[in-house]
Amino acid sequence: MATISRPLPGAAIPAAKQLRLSDYLRWSVDHKIIGVQYMATAFFFFLFGGALAMMIRWELLTPTLDVMSDGTAYNQLFTMHASIMIFMWIIPMMAGFGNYLVPLMLGAKDMAFPWLNALAFWLIVPAGALMILGYFAGQAEAGWTAYPPLSTIYSLGDGQTFWAFALHLLGISSILGAINFIVTIKNMRPEGMGYFQMPLFCWAILATSIIIVLATPFLAGALTLLILDRVAGTAFFDPSRGGDVLVWQNVFWFYSHPAVYIMVLPGFGILSEVLSVHARKPVFGYRALALSSMAIALLGFTVWAHHMFTSMTPELRIPFMVTSMIIAVPTGIKIFSWLGTLWGGKIHFTPAMLFALGFLSMFVIGGISGVMLAAVPFDIHVHDTYFVVSHLHFVLFGGSVFAIYAGMYHWWPKVTGRMLNANLGKLHFALTYVGFFFTFFPQHIVGMLGMPRRVAVYAPEFQTLNIIISVAAFLLGISTFVLLYAMALSLSNGKRAGANPWRALTLEWATTSPPPTHNFHGDPVPYRDPYGYGTESAFRYLEDVDRRYGVGERDDDKVPVPALRGSGD
Amino acid sequence: MGVNTNINLNQQEPAGGQSLSVIWIVVAGLGMIFGGILIATITPSIFPQQASAEAVQVDNLFRFMLAVGGAIFLLVVGVLVFVIVRFRARPGDLADGPPIHGNTTLEMVWTIIPAIIVLVLTVYSYQVWVSIRTLQPIHNSVAAVGQRFAWAFNYVITPEDLPASVTLDQLEEPIRAAVTSEAGMNFSSAQLHTWMGQQMQVSLRTEDVNHAFWIPAMRIKQDLLAGRETSISFTPIEAGTYRIICAELCGSGHGNMAGTVGFNDDLQGAWLIVHPDEVTYLREFYEPEAAKVLFPPEDPALRGRQILVGAAYPCATCHVLDDLGWVGNIGPNLNNIGVRAATRVSGLTADQYLRNSIRHPGDYLVPGYSNLMPQFNAVAGEANYMPDTDLDAIVAYLLTQQQ
Repeated sequence: MATISRPLPGAAIPAAKQLRLSDYLRWSVDHKIIGVQYMATAFFFFLFGGALAMMIRWELLTPTLDVMSDGTAYNQLFTMHASIMIFMWIIPMMAGFGNYLVPLMLGAKDMAFPWLNALAFWLIVPAGALMILGYFAGQAEAGWTAYPPLSTIYSLGDGQTFWAFALHLLGISSILGAINFIVTIKNMRPEGMGYFQMPLFCWAILATSIIIVLATPFLAGALTLLILDRVAGTAFFDPSRGGDVLVWQNVFWFYSHPAVYIMVLPGFGILSEVLSVHARKPVFGYRALALSSMAIALLGFTVWAHHMFTSMTPELRIPFMVTSMIIAVPTGIKIFSWLGTLWGGKIHFTPAMLFALGFLSMFVIGGISGVMLAAVPFDIHVHDTYFVVSHLHFVLFGGSVFAIYAGMYHWWPKVTGRMLNANLGKLHFALTYVGFFFTFFPQHIVGMLGMPRRVAVYAPEFQTLNIIISVAAFLLGISTFVLLYAMALSLSNGKRAGANPWRALTLEWATTSPPPTHNFHGDPVPYRDPYGYGTESAFRYLEDVDRRYGVGERDDDKVPVPALRGSGD
Repeated sequence: MGVNTNINLNQQEPAGGQSLSVIWIVVAGLGMIFGGILIATITPSIFPQQASAEAVQVDNLFRFMLAVGGAIFLLVVGVLVFVIVRFRARPGDLADGPPIHGNTTLEMVWTIIPAIIVLVLTVYSYQVWVSIRTLQPIHNSVAAVGQRFAWAFNYVITPEDLPASVTLDQLEEPIRAAVTSEAGMNFSSAQLHTWMGQQMQVSLRTEDVNHAFWIPAMRIKQDLLAGRETSISFTPIEAGTYRIICAELCGSGHGNMAGTVGFNDDLQGAWLIVHPDEVTYLREFYEPEAAKVLFPPEDPALRGRQILVGAAYPCATCHVLDDLGWVGNIGPNLNNIGVRAATRVSGLTADQYLRNSIRHPGDYLVPGYSNLMPQFNAVAGEANYMPDTDLDAIVAYLLTQQQ
């Protein structure tokens, strides 16, 4: 909500740093620049992957193949849609948030290893180039899951090999970033900030980073075997020469299930921050939220074969059902804790809060469908159908992307020094929420009725539902342009934000917007409780931050911040 | 300053205010449970026909999970709606909310109750699983082969299964030897046939990539894994025809690898046909098909036609051929191929071209088409095995396509 105080006359406010586009186009070891580089690159790939989704939904308006030239071209669409959304949008975007915010939240000047940080980002550029180059060499077409022998003997283009190399680079980038986060969080917290005094977003990044360093090497192993089978004549996955196709499935999913928590845990961290600030209330159950992130990280390693219920040894289905059911409990704790945070608060319907509320209502559906999928007899029917596509989009879009949007609206003022127009934000939310729900909810139904996934051709009786889904998807696609417009408008002519437009207690707000190169003016002292809203001392702290670092433009004046310095009004 | 910046220093709410009384909790709890049950009851059937014993159990499990999930959904969304209405910040109110950090009792409740719920779901699912897996005596066992992009179902004729009017000595020698051999004589069909009320087992083998065998009406699915044989069993309880679908991405024709309905409402491709009883099954399917194979036509072209109709090879998925009702759109049109084959590659007769295009399809690609056709090999044990006798018959038939 708008800031409510003005600096005392005569107080000297540091000038906010001016951003220059050229700063972001070259190598820099400043975590804030790297963070923006990650986020801007990731957002570009979000648009690319979204365009592919629009092509998929256009094709699925009819039950026959009439948009793409052949089935292979269609298979390439969803292969690249998923690969790009997972590896070039969500994972790097979350890394971008982490990069920008973690040092600031900890009062540090930068990450523990700034040079390594820059390297991790720049690995994404050749990875993205390889993914796109695949189109010129026979693009990958075996799905983002790349099961052999389809992805080995039966994929003759080189695009599948480029895909594997691109994922190798992205995996290295991910691991380097994770090491950086773990060391930064362990070693660079300020005096007085124990683990249980740090913001929940930092807990989320810590849990995510632990998953990354433990799981990603397995993906690297699987990719290496795939590349060797494709180019070096090995037979790891060729049964006719002693290989085994299930080895790929097991090793791939051993990484890829924890990967889904890599994609959603930082979103959980963003939720905690946004809900608390925009409801003006402490997070309910801080310890439970912190420890449940760790529990999810650990338990996430025990469930992988639930992706393989129809291909794995039948006797092992039940143990994986048990572990998959268990992981619902820490996730449920989080949802209830967030509801507890809202209860009794003072809820401001900023775009950030709207997307957080959208997350809560949509992610719960994804969680419920996830528990259903854990039930083996039901999963046998819906595995590899649109029911799974629906579930994954409820948790990845209704979950992660909504959280990313909430985070963008929340931290945009800090990063750019400008506000995003709230009315455009509300329009963006409305279009996204409606478009999202009607795109993905009907997919539960069409999957249960008998429509498999990864097809361009389907039984004619499913056409009506598919048309509804596609039209809603086009609306969802259009909603993205509202955000793009709002971002452009903000950068060119947005209201100046001031240091702490949301009156938040975490340390990233105790500096100008954007922060100076060294992050803080003087030595930052964290407020004793990052979520201590509702107390007199919190009020005084926030007043002090406004006094020291300046407030933004209000609706009733257009005077920019510097002119307030020394003025007596 | 005209703005309200009062902080709630007092952590206690006024008496009788916002604190939840037990009655409201009970009402909300009952509403949630009733609402969940209501959702599960009124949701129309979003399953295909419930045609197997397994389907009944799976559907009941789903209804239960929908009731539980519906209740949880109502709880979460109900709280959200309540919170949005009751706790929204009024215009001009810039105060904070109360500094409440948690409530141990509440947190234990919302840990333990979900744990109990998932325990119940796990136990119930386990019971359904055990019940589905308990094998009854198998009365009908068929071998299914998945290859890009069609299903073939292989039936076996042994001396015990001969059609009623047929005796061993009526058979020609090579056929009699096949029937009396250890494996019996094989014939294939594009459709899977069985009869009602008894468990059938399907063994699953792939010629190329991984596929998955899915019959939605039966609620059963099993992957076909390269290099392995897998199997699935189910008990149909309703006579009828049910679509069979491939549910594992297998390439460009993955979506085509499912049963379809042709122009004349005739079934094309993979369907499960459940006959009302064994007598009907034998009379309508097994005996006529067995007879075709036990007494094959002398004319190789007719024999070739019979082989193609029997769908041992997946040609129908990709090619158009009006004589057989094929409407595939992945590969070249085969109408009139008996004449056009001679014009494809200079120096090759129609016969030579057709043989080569089946044994080595990659040698010549018709312009506009990709190299997607499987190679049908001549040696038993190799992938996509097609014996020379079948190849001769098929080529003989294709050469008759001259309209």
